[in-house]
Amino acid sequence: MAAAKPDPIPDFLETSRKGVADADLRRKLENSTGRHLEHVAHMRAEFPGYDGERDVARRIKEDAIGRLDELLIELKQKLEANGCTVFVAADAAEARDYIIKIARKASARHVVKGKSMTTEEIDLNPALQAAGMEVVETDLGEYIVQLRRERPSHIITPAIHLSKEDIGQLFADQLGIAYTAEPEALTAAARERLRSIFLGADLGVTGVNFAIAETGTLVLIENEGNGRLTSTLPETFIAVMGIEKVIPKLADLSHFLEILARTGTGQKLTTYTNFISGPRREGELDGPRAMHVVILDNGRSAMLADPVMREALYCLRCGACLNVCPVYRRIGGHAYNSPYPGPIGSIVSPNLFGSAAAKLPFASTLCGACRDICPVKIDIPRILLHLRWKETQAQPPTKWPADARRTRAGVRRFARMARHPRTLRLLSRIGGWMLRPFARDRYLRRMPGPFKNWTRWGRDFPAPGARRRKPRGEG
Amino acid sequence: MSAFHKIIATVKSAIERSPRTAPPAHPASPGVIVPVTHDARRAELISQFARELEAVGGAFLGIFSPDEVRARTVALARDIGAHTAAIGAGVTLDTAAVARALEQAGIAVIRPGASGDAERASYRERLAGCDLGIVEANAGIAATGTLAVIGTSASPNSLTLLPPANLIIVNADRMRADLAAAVSAIGAETFTTKRVALITGPSRTADIEKMIVLGVHGPRKLYALAIWPNEV
Repeated sequence: MAAAKPDPIPDFLETSRKGVADADLRRKLENSTGRHLEHVAHMRAEFPGYDGERDVARRIKEDAIGRLDELLIELKQKLEANGCTVFVAADAAEARDYIIKIARKASARHVVKGKSMTTEEIDLNPALQAAGMEVVETDLGEYIVQLRRERPSHIITPAIHLSKEDIGQLFADQLGIAYTAEPEALTAAARERLRSIFLGADLGVTGVNFAIAETGTLVLIENEGNGRLTSTLPETFIAVMGIEKVIPKLADLSHFLEILARTGTGQKLTTYTNFISGPRREGELDGPRAMHVVILDNGRSAMLADPVMREALYCLRCGACLNVCPVYRRIGGHAYNSPYPGPIGSIVSPNLFGSAAAKLPFASTLCGACRDICPVKIDIPRILLHLRWKETQAQPPTKWPADARRTRAGVRRFARMARHPRTLRLLSRIGGWMLRPFARDRYLRRMPGPFKNWTRWGRDFPAPGARRRKPRGEG
Repeated sequence: MSAFHKIIATVKSAIERSPRTAPPAHPASPGVIVPVTHDARRAELISQFARELEAVGGAFLGIFSPDEVRARTVALARDIGAHTAAIGAGVTLDTAAVARALEQAGIAVIRPGASGDAERASYRERLAGCDLGIVEANAGIAATGTLAVIGTSASPNSLTLLPPANLIIVNADRMRADLAAAVSAIGAETFTTKRVALITGPSRTADIEKMIVLGVHGPRKLYALAIWPNEV
């Protein structure tokens, strides 16, 4: 990622516009997200306990986040008793520095990574590469976007914006295999390449789904097996987690696992649920010699302090709100310019990345589909409104009296005209004709003169004379 | 004040505790797997397990007595054309006898046990090159078709990770109805001291256009069979 970010406001408008204009992208997104939503609907229908488990899971999170300080102390003690080294990082830079220090101490040259949004958040890969290490993402989707030098565009399905043909072309160019668009063949090619990298890796880095305070156990869930390999084969293993991942008891876990895969991927359980409590013990063949756990704050305690924001910390990162969001489905993940896109990204990014993401809460229609699908029932629309309010408060106040005067005068003028229908029709025809040169794709993107306030924040206005079309997609 | 305590203090002040509600009570984990002894219940759980396992792309070979397991394992190894097999120590089954049966059938057997650094690397290479990994699970979960495999020095985790095909054996006694029951049966102590993997079907991905492909990093084929205990 570039060090200096361009002005984020036009940036988001520009990138989202690019997303909207890309019919090909929309087809791919609708294809994949549609398939996911079908699976989820099926899973919810066949598991009568689903809604009950959601409530239980939410209550456990409320309890855990409400006494996070105690649980973090307990978790740290238990992990250390199990032989781990624990480092608590206040921000991204501290976390990166620590990981690089450990990597250097282990003389690591080849780093393998399991899928981890938290390491995306702290921009770990460029830092490791700058320190002279080779870093390979091993989740198939992450591997694909890494080969393309892109960010993941979805938190569960990183390459959701690519078709199998795109990936076939990429592999043909970068891996030197014959072009094929067969997912089976592409997967086999990646497996072969990554297997040899795994066997030669000396440092593994993954994220964490749950950290159980009671036992000092990290839980990693996945389908591919790359997380297991990353935490099993290299001599040094580092797990990176946000402070909010801790849950109190082992017995709490099943309530989350019963809903997480059902919502995230439309499975009852993911293929692998890995429990890792420490490095390998005397006489064991598998597992790292040294295991480190990095627990990251990076703005989370500020979210905790805000009573409306707090429930965003319940998020399990299942990704379902992305798939169901009408905005995400139109613009794709890259438009958000954040490792966390979609509805959940729009509420956590402003807290994690500050002003660069301050406009994301406006990237929503507030339709509420995200709240309905959320496995822990996070009221995302409410938080979006809260963040919009906060952002608006930060802006210079609107000059109401002048604006109100202008509005009133405009309305009065309109009322006078409306009394003469024939004049009104004539004037609106003339007005439409004058505005026509400004139209693009049947919309006015930027209106002149007193109308410019309408389009200033990216609100398009239907061009005069253009028939309104029913939007495609949801009927 | 250390950095850790500083962050804890930040978190503590952010929480602004409301009057404490007691955390939900949990039954204590027994940590001992109490056998399911009722035959009809056992059969019911296994048939559900088999159905769920097949739904996620695994293959259920059937229910066998401890003596029949040897012959069935050899037959499977032959069916898939295995030349080498790796086998971990059993939980309830004498896997040494299975290993001998495989060797008698002309299949080379890799046994874990070495733990030096050089041996570790060569063991992994051999494991990655073998055709079939065989382990016994500590428990099964009927509702999801899941096998709980515990890594030990005599049955390491990589056995269910590196070979292209796996046979996982589970004792019918150890079949549990759902995840919560299985986690509780395995117990907190084991989770603290051992690496546990819950395995639900073969390794898979849906990263290319959400289409399911099996065998991305882990095994492509997963076979399971159940042992019917208390043979009379």
